[in-house]
Amino acid sequence: MNIEFIDIVQSLIDGVLYGSTYALIGLGFTLIFGAMEKLNMAYAASSIGGAYVGLGVSVLLSLPLYAIFLIGPIGGGLLSVLVYICCFRYLPSNNHLAALMASIGGLFFIDEIISHETDGSPLDFPELGIFSEAYFEIEFSDMFLGFRGDLIFVMFASFLAMLMLMYLLYRTRLGLATRAVSQQPVAAQLCGISIHQTNSITFILAGVLGGIAGCLAAASVGVISPLLVLPLTVKGLIVTVIGGLGSIRGAIIAGLLVGGLESVFLLLRGVNERDIYVFLLLFVFLVFRPNGFFGAEIDRD
Amino acid sequence: MKKLSITKGLAISALTLAMSAGVALAEKTVLISGWGAQSGPLKSFGMNSETILKAAVDKINSEGGVKLKDGSMAKMVYEYYDSRCNAEEGIALARKTATTTNTLIAIGPTCSGVAAASFGVFQKKVDDASDTGLQMPLFTNTAVRNGLAKISQWTFRNTPNEPDMYDKLFAWVRKTKPELKTIYGGTETDQGHSAGTYSKVIVQAAIRHGFEWVAGPIDEVSGKIASGHKNVIKASSNWLMADTSFSVQARAFKKSKADVYLVSSHPFTTCGMLKELARQKAKPKLMIGLTSSSSAETMKGCAKQAEGMIIPTSFAPVTPEAKAVADLAAANGAAADLHSAAAWENVMIIKDVMETVGVSANGENLEADRRAIRDGLEALKTTPGLIGTVTRNQEEGEALKPYVFVHAKGGNWEVLYDPR
Repeated sequence: MNIEFIDIVQSLIDGVLYGSTYALIGLGFTLIFGAMEKLNMAYAASSIGGAYVGLGVSVLLSLPLYAIFLIGPIGGGLLSVLVYICCFRYLPSNNHLAALMASIGGLFFIDEIISHETDGSPLDFPELGIFSEAYFEIEFSDMFLGFRGDLIFVMFASFLAMLMLMYLLYRTRLGLATRAVSQQPVAAQLCGISIHQTNSITFILAGVLGGIAGCLAAASVGVISPLLVLPLTVKGLIVTVIGGLGSIRGAIIAGLLVGGLESVFLLLRGVNERDIYVFLLLFVFLVFRPNGFFGAEIDRD
Repeated sequence: MKKLSITKGLAISALTLAMSAGVALAEKTVLISGWGAQSGPLKSFGMNSETILKAAVDKINSEGGVKLKDGSMAKMVYEYYDSRCNAEEGIALARKTATTTNTLIAIGPTCSGVAAASFGVFQKKVDDASDTGLQMPLFTNTAVRNGLAKISQWTFRNTPNEPDMYDKLFAWVRKTKPELKTIYGGTETDQGHSAGTYSKVIVQAAIRHGFEWVAGPIDEVSGKIASGHKNVIKASSNWLMADTSFSVQARAFKKSKADVYLVSSHPFTTCGMLKELARQKAKPKLMIGLTSSSSAETMKGCAKQAEGMIIPTSFAPVTPEAKAVADLAAANGAAADLHSAAAWENVMIIKDVMETVGVSANGENLEADRRAIRDGLEALKTTPGLIGTVTRNQEEGEALKPYVFVHAKGGNWEVLYDPR
């Protein structure tokens, strides 16, 4: 099929909009890395797990569908703190590899639990009501550019989450404690800040955010399945690295960038080559700009 | 007192030994093994197969079991393993069951990729002394990619013949809906069954019956099975099994303005794709799907968007026997579909073959028993199936199963056309 310029623009729009789900997952990765300087590989799994909890509880108690979007984040928060306890809390704080491996174990453990509980079947996930029905079209030289209403909503949610996180980190005592623990854990402890309490709260916050991300990602696909876990983990990690480990605005920008480029490469080169270019981008950043877009922000004193 | 105790003890021991020997004599068993995906995203396929396999074994045992060569009856027992849709796991299970157990015949696996890899470790030609491959019959119920059983003369399949099914389907569509002329489609390129059946079977059958690819002829595709299949993949809008965004592909489908959309994928991405097509208001006149999507999973995930999709399948509850198996599966929390229901047929065929060729099932004649079952399977020209008689291709070890065309309607797969 002939590819026209408008197809490329449309793909870019589709990808940037869908990239907002990557951005949300990237935000969670970056929040935990910013606080502990450790990667929580089980993050996307607990996010999707939260969405499953929301769906399961809502169906079980016959609650209205919007309840999923309230219960999901709570489920995400609980799963996240469970991951913290199992994979981080009791491991030596200076052994980053142990925490990384433990969280990879957590990722597969949560993934398997979901597979066993659902028999691996995809489940219908409620879409975002009027937003999912909304589809905007703009005429562009006798052709139309389309915008999905639900993905526009997800994008706004990402920006809102970013603003809230920045407020929390830079305008509240909790944020001050998190930053203190992140930058100088010993000094923070000497000032009376409990490291584990602060980390637990960070995990809960990230988990709640992940639960929202999981629900929004599943709602934007319209289906939830254990198959969502690995792609979101991989894309979340790429976004975190490209955005700069620990950088909140970097995660948002990188999420949209990765989504957009992925979509354009899919159109131009097909699905079998699409991911090659995304990983190539990751390598380019690792070689030429290892701190990502805003990685300097995580420099420690 | 002590003497009495010793005497009593000896008597009790002798009695126990005699009883256990009697029990052992009374409880002869024939062991069959099975494996399929019981964890991971395709878990439901293995779970459904095992549930139905167990139900079939229970039925046989409730009717007395399997008649052995010496005229005695043996209970059928089975062991089922998780091959996780992983080729190495499938190979390891084939080796384990063939070399360390008294398994007479095995059933499985779920995934075509696992079948393709694990069939390769079996002896290719019987009586080939230079080939030390495994010598145990394997009778597949699920892995459906075309032409796998011919890899070894020890491997057999009771899976639908997709080239035949899609050929008849497109012939029927051509006849009943002559106004439909153009086609366009896509597949999961990382799934052997989806991509292989799409490029080598579905598109070829459509072209053979006069449907036109929207962007003009695809190079080297003549309608012959498997000709130019790589060009089919190149010319399509494809995705991967773990993909979550389908906007680019759906837009290409819509832009094609084809009369018929071909969606060749498993339930998860089928649902993702159908939902995206619906969002973009892409409305073909007809949608045709992959055999594996005619399952409960698709109905759970996207019944509304799948409405009208037509799929050929070798199982539907259209006979009393098929309905009984479907009900039995449902009562045990499983779903009977073209893959899992074949497990029932396989177990029944195995029982018949064992009784026809006469197995001793005493462990000492394991090799001879396995060989006799293999030869018995190879000799079958037809077998009874749940929806009709299955013809066997004796040279290739494959089946030609009866089938029906189903379409998604009101949250269920309903029979649209029954060519039996």
